[in-house]
Amino acid sequence: MRLKIIRIITIILFLIVILDLFYVQAIRGRYYYNLSKNNRVRIVPLEGWRGRIFDSTGEVLADNIVSFNVMITPQEIKSKQELFSFLADTLGITYKKIEELYKKKRSTPFAPIVLVENIGREKAIILEEEKYRFPSLFIQESFRRVYPRGADTSHVVGYVGKMNKQKIERFKEYGYSPQSIIGYSGIEEYYDSYLKGGYGGLQVEVNSRGEQVRLLSFKEPVKGQDLELTIDSRMQRMAAESLDERPGAFIALDADSGEVLSMVSSPSFDPNVFKKAISKNSLKGLSSSKFSPFLNRVIKGLFPPGSVFKVPIAIAGLDTKKITQHSSFNCLGFYELAGIKFRCTHIHNYQNLIQSLAHSCNVYYYRLGMILGADIISKYARLFSLGKLTHIDLPYEEKGFVSSRRHKVLQGKKWYAGHTLNFSIGQGDLSTTPIQLTRMMATIASDGIEVQPHIIRKIGGKLVDDYNSKRKLKIQKQTFDIVKKGLRETVRSFSGTAHILDIEGIYIAGKTGTAQTSGNKEDHAWFVGYVETSKKKIAFCVFLEHGGSSQNACLTARQILLKMNREGII
Amino acid sequence: MRRDLGDKIWFFLVAIIFVGLVALYSASCDNVRVAQNIFYNQFIFAVFCLFVMYILQNIDYRKFYDVAYLLYIFNVLLLIWVLIAGKYTLGAKRWIQIGALNFQPSEFMKLSLILTLGRYFSKRRANISFGLLNKTQLLCRDILIPFFITIVPMFIIFKQPDLGTALLLFGIFLAMLFVSGLEYRYIFSFLGICLGVLPFAWNVLKQYQKDRLLVFLNPNIDPLGAGYTIIQSKIAIGSGQIFGKGWLAGTQNQLNFLPERHTDFIFSVIGEEWGLLGAILTVCLYFFLIMHCLNIASQVKDRFGTIVAVGMASILTLQVVINVGMVMGLFPIVGLTLPFISYGRSSFLVFIIMIGFLLNLSKRRTIF
Repeated sequence: MRLKIIRIITIILFLIVILDLFYVQAIRGRYYYNLSKNNRVRIVPLEGWRGRIFDSTGEVLADNIVSFNVMITPQEIKSKQELFSFLADTLGITYKKIEELYKKKRSTPFAPIVLVENIGREKAIILEEEKYRFPSLFIQESFRRVYPRGADTSHVVGYVGKMNKQKIERFKEYGYSPQSIIGYSGIEEYYDSYLKGGYGGLQVEVNSRGEQVRLLSFKEPVKGQDLELTIDSRMQRMAAESLDERPGAFIALDADSGEVLSMVSSPSFDPNVFKKAISKNSLKGLSSSKFSPFLNRVIKGLFPPGSVFKVPIAIAGLDTKKITQHSSFNCLGFYELAGIKFRCTHIHNYQNLIQSLAHSCNVYYYRLGMILGADIISKYARLFSLGKLTHIDLPYEEKGFVSSRRHKVLQGKKWYAGHTLNFSIGQGDLSTTPIQLTRMMATIASDGIEVQPHIIRKIGGKLVDDYNSKRKLKIQKQTFDIVKKGLRETVRSFSGTAHILDIEGIYIAGKTGTAQTSGNKEDHAWFVGYVETSKKKIAFCVFLEHGGSSQNACLTARQILLKMNREGII
Repeated sequence: MRRDLGDKIWFFLVAIIFVGLVALYSASCDNVRVAQNIFYNQFIFAVFCLFVMYILQNIDYRKFYDVAYLLYIFNVLLLIWVLIAGKYTLGAKRWIQIGALNFQPSEFMKLSLILTLGRYFSKRRANISFGLLNKTQLLCRDILIPFFITIVPMFIIFKQPDLGTALLLFGIFLAMLFVSGLEYRYIFSFLGICLGVLPFAWNVLKQYQKDRLLVFLNPNIDPLGAGYTIIQSKIAIGSGQIFGKGWLAGTQNQLNFLPERHTDFIFSVIGEEWGLLGAILTVCLYFFLIMHCLNIASQVKDRFGTIVAVGMASILTLQVVINVGMVMGLFPIVGLTLPFISYGRSSFLVFIIMIGFLLNLSKRRTIF
């Protein structure tokens, strides 16, 4: 009887085993089969080298250099102490630091970790020679992005880094992986899809230690495309030197083609710090600085244009035939409206249009503004694409704002005559970026042909002609001639506001601007103008944030132009 | 009829050994982790063991009755010696070395305990008198003394530490107690007390044993540590699906994902390479072998023979079920071998002696 029970218990136990075998192998078999396949096949992604970036003279702005990383497979470590003290001695890092790094990065015993990034070639060679003593150790070769021109070109070129969370979400459909290096800001970001190398990789069969048993397939990674920019790195250097870390901006634009020859925003940052491992502190310093070095002021900085805005108003007056070049207004030093005095810088007495530009007479433009009215001023400001994106090939451009009566009314506010007066001298609800004003000047210099500013010249050796489109403004050439005369007088005439820029042998014309700012801060200083040579016209802009009088901007412009002249650029 | 039973046991045993050698060849084939010569070692040893068994089946099993207690005492002494002077392997003292011979006394303890308990229980006579004093005597004679006989080696083996074998001894004790004819109420009250003691036993366990039990409940709490073995062996077995990946073609096995695959985890190699069909065939071979052992037990007229045969059948059942369940994640990993298949001489020899004993028993079952 009891033997029978034992027999039954035995049968039940075996039945359980067989049923479980059936469940695991027949029902869940497919699932485990896939797991076993994943167990043994590893994809080792190889990223192609990122394309390099050159300036217009063939100088390298962004390059790749081979770097060496120290990698460790935790499972293979025989004696931690021996290995760590060897690494500490060779790399010149303390033992404690290495231990710390190891603890932080270790995840699973099988997965190799990058312990120290970017060690020098000499150290890599030493480690490679001693490797036989430490089976867990190996040296990984990878590339590191370097920017030989450093801070001079950082706003144009941008920088690269590992993917962050938002980028992973946005880009995972486009063949980026979380380990991808991706461009942040500037050309590196805007043309990332061209610069990025194509993924290749190894498909290897591995054993439980992650050691390669055999190669299943190999796809060679594709190198990214090289870019050639319109930027001239010599001008970058000159402008950066002259701005000398003062908050401000410089931009030079070929008025005929729209090529941006130089774009400097100051203060700047060294893009090389982002790839170094140890520079967390310097990064913190950069991003917390009140001068916001990461802000590319040329395309993102929004400032009132001040007197520079008188140029489109003058064109508006001529084009609408409200005035001629000989129409004069008497400047008594102020303009009175409803008992409030709107001041001028001097008492200019009788001024015609050309004088008014040269002397930057406020009263002239108060009167002209009152004649034209706010609507026409807004219309002409928009005609010169103020308050609109220039669609330059850089990310995160700001479009600024041009006020109008309709906008005020839509907001439920009233437009007063005082608003028009402020508007007439480029103050009030008006914000522009340096690149917008520079393009406006370029349009004037080339008699109403508006170009498309751009930085790219060649991608992978092929000329990019997407940016050659031009727009012709419907304004008579005669109008531009008169205004250009005024702009030239600004520099040439002894009483012109930018006479300091009257350099022999260079044809410079332009307009100064001193834009008032809210609060007790210094005014913004502007000089926007163009240089004309027999070969080309270059519009440029010097902007100093809270730089005081426009004279400071003129002085900086003079420095830069003199250097350019010396180097034979103009 | 008589010849028949012995022949069947021979047949199933040789079939199991054959399956084992095939699996072991694959587990050690062309590999750095598991030395290739273990296959040849096992092969030669298996031939030797079959020869030993052939001799054993002609030796009167009553001789075992005579030496049972002596063997038990000798074995317990060996266990104590192991605890004092044994060899450490994989964090446990289980091995003893005499000259060139390595062996595990804990494996032989299985046999000694079965024989000893068999001899002890076979002397038991049904109770006639009732009374308080007699009840105490009965309790002492039928439960406490055999329990003491079991708990001494169990405790020493547990100290090695080898939880699996220790619990196995307890399983043998229960099975043999059951067939000894003791009233159910005593058996069940004894079991009740044991269950009550269980929570206290938890504190006696070593940390790694606790880990293993916890990981058994949820292997994913530590997929690369203690849970690694379970996960990998489950993947191996499951990925074999119905027809298997083919001999020498199991990726889990050939690429070293399976730890201890030539010993405790050999069944996952079979499951991966031969699939559900191979796995069920293997389990069925064991099942029939054990059923025949139980047949012998029921046909034998001798009480000692019956009880010992049941003890041997149940230890085979327990090891097979626990081992196969363990590699499938049905039981915690306790380190029990798969009889006749796992690599390991002590275990192999002990089971061969058991089968030899049973064969002799089957020859003499009608003598009395």
